[in-house]
Amino acid sequence: MKRIGSLLQDRLALLSLFIITSTLLAGIFAPWIAPNDPEEVHMELRFASASWEYLLGNDHLGRCVLSRLIYGIRPSVLGVLAVLAISVGIGTAIGFIAGYFKGKLDALLMRICDIMLSFPGYVMTLGIIGILGVGLQHILLAFVLMKWSWFARIIRTSVMQYADAEYVKFSKTLGIGSLRIIWKHIVPVTVPVIAVTSSSAFSSMVLQLSGYSFLGLGVQAPHAEWGMMLNEAREVMFSRPELLLAPGITTILFVSAVHFFTDALQVALDPKLGSSGRKKQRKGRFQTANLQGSEVA
Amino acid sequence: MFKKRNLRLTLVLVLAAIATLAGCSSNSGNGNSSTSNANEKKTASLAQELIYATAKDINDMNPHLYPGSMPAQGIVYESLVENTANGIKPLLAESWEISEDGTTYTFHLRKNVTFHDGAPFNAEAVKKNIDAVQNNAAMHAWIKLSSKLVETKVIDEYTVQLVLSEPYYPTLLELSMTRPYVFLSPNDFINGQTKDGVNGYNGTGPYRLTEHKTDQYATFEANEHYWNGVPRIPKIKAKVLPAGETTFLALKKGEVNFVFTDDRGTDSIDVEAMKTLAESGKFQIVRSAPMNTKMIVANSSRKDSPAAEKAVREAIWHSIDREAISKELFNGTESPAEALFSSNVNYANIDLKKRAYDLETAKKLLDEADWTLQPGDEIRKKNGHALIMGLYYDVNSSSQKSEAELLQNTLKKIGVQLELIGEESTSIANRRSTGDYDLLFNQTWGLAYDPQSTIASFTSEAAYYHTTSGIAKSDELYKKIDEVMASTDEATRKSLYKDILTIVHDEAVFIPITNGRVTIVAPTALKEISFKQTQFELPFEQMYFE
Amino acid sequence: MSGYIFRRSLLAIPLLLVISFLTFVLNALSPMDPAELVLHAQGVPRITDELITATRTALGMDQPFLIRYLDWLFSCLQLDFGNSYVTGKPVWSMLGPAFLNTLELTILSVVAVIAASIGLGIVCALTEGRWLDKSIRGAAFVLTSMPSYLLAALLVWYFSVKLDWLPTTGKETVQSYILPVSVITISYAGHYFRIVRSAMLMNLNEDYVLFGRACGLPESRITIRLLRNSLQVAVSVFCMAIPIILGSTVVIENLFAWPGLGMLSVKSILSRDFPIIQAYVLVLAAAFVVVNTFSDIINALINPKLRENDL
Repeated sequence: MKRIGSLLQDRLALLSLFIITSTLLAGIFAPWIAPNDPEEVHMELRFASASWEYLLGNDHLGRCVLSRLIYGIRPSVLGVLAVLAISVGIGTAIGFIAGYFKGKLDALLMRICDIMLSFPGYVMTLGIIGILGVGLQHILLAFVLMKWSWFARIIRTSVMQYADAEYVKFSKTLGIGSLRIIWKHIVPVTVPVIAVTSSSAFSSMVLQLSGYSFLGLGVQAPHAEWGMMLNEAREVMFSRPELLLAPGITTILFVSAVHFFTDALQVALDPKLGSSGRKKQRKGRFQTANLQGSEVA
Repeated sequence: MFKKRNLRLTLVLVLAAIATLAGCSSNSGNGNSSTSNANEKKTASLAQELIYATAKDINDMNPHLYPGSMPAQGIVYESLVENTANGIKPLLAESWEISEDGTTYTFHLRKNVTFHDGAPFNAEAVKKNIDAVQNNAAMHAWIKLSSKLVETKVIDEYTVQLVLSEPYYPTLLELSMTRPYVFLSPNDFINGQTKDGVNGYNGTGPYRLTEHKTDQYATFEANEHYWNGVPRIPKIKAKVLPAGETTFLALKKGEVNFVFTDDRGTDSIDVEAMKTLAESGKFQIVRSAPMNTKMIVANSSRKDSPAAEKAVREAIWHSIDREAISKELFNGTESPAEALFSSNVNYANIDLKKRAYDLETAKKLLDEADWTLQPGDEIRKKNGHALIMGLYYDVNSSSQKSEAELLQNTLKKIGVQLELIGEESTSIANRRSTGDYDLLFNQTWGLAYDPQSTIASFTSEAAYYHTTSGIAKSDELYKKIDEVMASTDEATRKSLYKDILTIVHDEAVFIPITNGRVTIVAPTALKEISFKQTQFELPFEQMYFE
Repeated sequence: MSGYIFRRSLLAIPLLLVISFLTFVLNALSPMDPAELVLHAQGVPRITDELITATRTALGMDQPFLIRYLDWLFSCLQLDFGNSYVTGKPVWSMLGPAFLNTLELTILSVVAVIAASIGLGIVCALTEGRWLDKSIRGAAFVLTSMPSYLLAALLVWYFSVKLDWLPTTGKETVQSYILPVSVITISYAGHYFRIVRSAMLMNLNEDYVLFGRACGLPESRITIRLLRNSLQVAVSVFCMAIPIILGSTVVIENLFAWPGLGMLSVKSILSRDFPIIQAYVLVLAAAFVVVNTFSDIINALINPKLRENDL
């Protein structure tokens, strides 16, 4: 808890956390927050500029840009978050099993992971969309299929580090059950790795999803999504550039916040770091960067 | 300390990014001035070359198959006769005679014509080409001539005779089309055939294909031996560009200097962007007369689809706000369409019931058809089935997407749900021919094809068979179509066309939206910009730079 | 060492087999009947049940699943992936050139990413904590938070239209390479230079640097030593980056009308051209495995410790 405390003292991390949570809340409570129906067409308001009723103006069908932006959080952020939770869940379970019990099971699971990891994420996603058809749900499905193995690998490595630790060996000789050992001794020390890994994967997944929507492979009309809003704004990029601003800046702000938060989380949570000495802080950053070796859009 | 300054720095950077973005917006208006010099320099050097943007590669240029780009095929290949505003005119045939019984057509060919590879254009070449087309007749079922043509006879070097099994009045019209009855050098045939591919693309047209890089560009150079005089633009390049702002930028920068509505009715740039280009003074916008009807086509033959019900189709018809589409989406450049063919199309000037934008009528129609809205529901139901339909649109067309979204929103208000699916135009054409759709966007084929070919295609599986086969009077409709094509009497034809058009109008299977035009954006220095009787080709050979 | 290379290469073969099998299964999941699709592709106007049965036999679809897979695998090995449904041309005649174009873009980008990451990493490490370091890192933060298409659109607007220096799209002149490569470089180097920087900083505090300085060694020799040690870490990361970049040029290609795999695949998805999609997945996954194998070998050559661990 001391660690969380130190995280909260970091004002930058606080700001990031604020941006992230308020975005999430806005998405969850979109029907109450959004000033208008995001799908309500008003042809007479086509490309209308900002007004009191429509704070960010209207798009090519006269729909409220602000409301679309808020509703767009659902697929762009909440959808990704849900998928992240699922793949982290699967990855954690498999990572723990493989890392703790080792042996043949470990070898088998890791071979499966190797196979999954040998499909480049983008290619696999395109393949799945290609076969099953265009749509948000298929992209999210592809994300789950691709990402769990990535998490499983990282978590396994981290579990293995601790499974060999003296106190774990000691507990084993005392005859304490595996589940109990995992729960008491290994889960607490691997949480930071899980948190940091998921956090860094989060931002890259948000960007990727927005890339697919931008290509017209993701969310289908009339539902709002940031990437699709950008795509629609692109049509009139030079006659109505202001339409590009709202979804563009929102995406940049949100992804930056996640980036910053990941960094701060890394520094705050890594138990090896203890006090945040400068040299060690760098080590933490190095690892984050290493983990970010996943794809960016 | 480290952190605090970092924060400040980030804020500054974010603000800077915002400022840059904002800068884009404020500069876009006057940004032109700084680039104008450079642009003038570019356009000057390009003056002899016309580069048009196309969303799709020109693809397989084999003129006897259908994947190729029609504007490109139109400048490379020619037909025997040409369809103009003043009727059928000579092209590769100088003159022709039609026998008394209407079954034998004798063509006297132009004598000084050679293919691009030097091979002579003569009766033998005509026979070989037509035979190659006939050899693949199943592919050409949509052109009724292919099923009526019995024999092609070489009378002498420059005379050729087509023998039909029965009289067929649109023969000359169908011979004038961009494909398949156009002529490729027999040297390019493989085993005397063209259906499995060809060795080259040597036609007789004003331009010859000189270079093709798939998905990048294709270059056409003027045919120095063109029988009708060498075209004045020496080089035409078709450059593959994604539609939208990429094309707009390329145009602004001079990488392309010509943009037109493509053969699927898709405009590469939107109306507003065109306007800014015209305002810059460097470009002109030329629009054709209304050329076709843009519409939503309903599948009447899929029994499990709500679109198979007349009442549902009529309700959709009543839910389209054509005035708003015309005024807001097209800035008035396209006019609302109330029937499959506008009244200036031959035989189409008849009285048909107008179905106005009226949601109350639409609701009433659905209620009467037992599609009822239960309290608490958002979608109407009938026998437990929800009123949900899929509408396919061309992903490259922003106007289709906007129209689809508008309709989706309107229909939602009366308890009908539309699922919108964007696909490439080839995929949509494929759905049309396989009946794998509820609703899809389409357009009639243009003045040269309307009404006869469009109507003939009602019976063809490759086209509108699935649209028309499920309606109550389909047998009567098909019988009348057969009759009208064989009839030689103008008055009979008129009355038959009236019956046909009334049947499809009453059944509401073709739900019209607007009357489309071909739009061209070209440098102001380009003269003699004109159109053909079809949206599929442009007469590039007549244009020139001043 | 050669033993390791041999073993590592052998390991790629079962992996390739599994991948090919998965790709085949993926296609079998398709809701469409392949026989019907082929008939549509050939433009047959009236499709009867007899015709479908005949086509199924012609396609060998009445064979057991495993036989069909092996047949398919052998034709794939001869680069015969069937014909495109849309153009009717052999898939390889479309995929091959596109693959080369993507490869070209990838190689150039990888070189640029590595150069930029090392350059920026060193500059930042040497000026650690000063304004240069901070502004580079700050800029990288914002740039990597931006969707790459937005970045691309801004660069096109500025460099192509406003300054009129570079072409907007296409792949015709040398200048056409600059923008796509830059966008990819910014997206990836923005992540990777931090690794170089951290590695440098970690080494800076190592004993040999202090010792060297204490002994009065010339600063240039220390720096060279430092670089060598730091880059060792970075190399393994870069090796991982190559296949990732190869697979993720999709968005950039579509924006810049780059005639590569990304453009081809998106077009094929939107026109439901299944043979191309299938071949695309297979070819890129195979390329991914090959590149991964190579990078593992390079890694092991540089970093002998890894060898014992992994096999």
